[in-house]
Amino acid sequence: MLTPGIGLAAFAGVAWGILGGALPGISPSITMALLLPFTYGMDPTLAVVLLASTYVGAEYGGSIPAILIRTPGTNAAAATVIDGYAMKEQGRAGEALGISLYSGFVGGMFGLAVLVLLAQPLSEVALAFTPTSYFALGVLGLSVIGSVSGDSLVKGLMAALLGLMISAIGTDPVTGVNRFTFGSPDLLSGIPPILVMVGLFAVGELLAQSGEPGWEKASAKEARVRFPRPAMWRRIARPQVIGSIMGTFEGIMPGGGGTISAFLAYNEARRWSPRKEEFGKGSPEGIAAPEAANNTVACTALVPMLSLGIPSSNSSAVLLGGFLIHGLIPGPMLFAKNSDVVTGLYSGLFVANIAMLILGYLIMIPCLWLVSRPKPYLMGFIYAFVMSGVYAIESSLFHVGVALLFGVIGYAMRYFKVPFLPMVLGVVLGFMVESNYRRALVLSGGNHMTFLQDPISATLLGLAVVFMIGSVMRHLAAPRGGRATASA
Amino acid sequence: MRRDLVFGTGTLAVSVIFYRMADAIPTSQLADAVGPQGLPKVYAVILSALSLILITRGLRDPGSGIGDPGGSGSRGSRIPDPGSRSFRAIGMLLIGVAYIVLAPWLGYLLSISGLVFATTYYQGGSLTRQSAVVAFCGGVFFWLLFVVMMGISQP
Repeated sequence: MLTPGIGLAAFAGVAWGILGGALPGISPSITMALLLPFTYGMDPTLAVVLLASTYVGAEYGGSIPAILIRTPGTNAAAATVIDGYAMKEQGRAGEALGISLYSGFVGGMFGLAVLVLLAQPLSEVALAFTPTSYFALGVLGLSVIGSVSGDSLVKGLMAALLGLMISAIGTDPVTGVNRFTFGSPDLLSGIPPILVMVGLFAVGELLAQSGEPGWEKASAKEARVRFPRPAMWRRIARPQVIGSIMGTFEGIMPGGGGTISAFLAYNEARRWSPRKEEFGKGSPEGIAAPEAANNTVACTALVPMLSLGIPSSNSSAVLLGGFLIHGLIPGPMLFAKNSDVVTGLYSGLFVANIAMLILGYLIMIPCLWLVSRPKPYLMGFIYAFVMSGVYAIESSLFHVGVALLFGVIGYAMRYFKVPFLPMVLGVVLGFMVESNYRRALVLSGGNHMTFLQDPISATLLGLAVVFMIGSVMRHLAAPRGGRATASA
Repeated sequence: MRRDLVFGTGTLAVSVIFYRMADAIPTSQLADAVGPQGLPKVYAVILSALSLILITRGLRDPGSGIGDPGGSGSRGSRIPDPGSRSFRAIGMLLIGVAYIVLAPWLGYLLSISGLVFATTYYQGGSLTRQSAVVAFCGGVFFWLLFVVMMGISQP
């Protein structure tokens, strides 16, 4: 159901996402986290469309500096650097940007189709869920920690435990007793996940960027986008399909992101290309495959998030935060009680992919002008935006202080090379895990076998064990420093 | 690595404190078999075990020291070498803290303009009338955006 408001939110989100994605160091999740407090006063449908569209825009935006200055704006755009920058060196930057834009559009539409086809059927499975099953689902969500822990599984587990501890702050879900509140009334309702996300991603990044040299600037002259001609469409069709398929699988799998699928798509596109020798030297296919992949992920990552409430990446975790702010609980009830939000989101994503085509062409020059402003001014405005937005959540300077505290924690986590997503998973899923665990035990009279007697719970717990064992084995087998993390 | 040693020690301390706080949670008559203390204690125990693993790893493999090596800071500018990045980050943090403290006194427009100005200057911008004007215009922009257009109250 498409309304003017949804269209406007989609365009605004894409524009903001392209801008944020084009800034090296500002990932899609940070770009979305900056908007999160801002959406608090909005209509729920418009808020989720705005956030989801930001994700779409940022995945394209990340390719702009990748092509122009050899610096990916997002992790997922790292694969685009290889052939994108080579094309720029050959004076074909406009062509590279056009291929990136068109492939992103194709991948995004493919991902949207997958999202529409899969999300609701998957959520209907959850109608049969009991507290036992919800507990098992939460454990499954946490079990992907291994996939998103980068080099250190131990640190990933520690981050997840810290997140679970944070989720325990506030009022106990069963007895109503206060826990870890230090006598502060501000902590009675716990720490909202949004503060954790804004703090870790946005404030932490600001602190980390302090004292860093300014970003390299691209010239606006070389940034005129040229859409590929029909002959080029045929040439890049196969890598686009490959990228879309890779992006679909990775986006749907809990723990997936865009980085891995982008590189996998690049490799497969090269394997199946009749012009393998051109890869690495400015091959259009080398841009089309990863860009289709990462824009497919922008939609398919919403499948587990919408249907089960399990975020599969930092960006879908932030989007989940957007849902939670408005009291929308992903899962079957979302499709039953808030179907207008879901259909609005689908419409919004459709418009967002079209908006990306239009805005990617039109706003390149103003976008480059804006991101070329002196870094001190950009930092000042971003900081002000974050502080104002966090205050807007509940008109609380205490919350602003909490966001700053998590900014410090985020900075420390960067310093100690501790991944973020496990902590976010712990904060988001902790309440679900604990409350359903304890409810299940109350219902079963304290019998822990109930988790194995329920077939859905047993299946999910079994999958969780498989994921964890697989992660442990991968970490033990991989050389140190050789693992890719989930992207933003 | 020494970073692992420091991080592991820190999280071990957190887990001990968390466990003790969980232990101090009063028992409620409404409590179920696990109780409000149950899972927090489990989290603390597992975290302490993982912390010990990390500490052991850090002791076995000291690796490089803490802190970035001296890097190529921009000479002649007010941005110091990368080795003092943490101090730079503390400065940014203090600007945010100052905003929280001063906002109820100065009001939103002045305090947010001050935040923009302070951050801009701190990040290497110049102390000129232009910077002050840009900061003030930024404050007006945010005031218009949040308070006037969005109707969201600010301090």
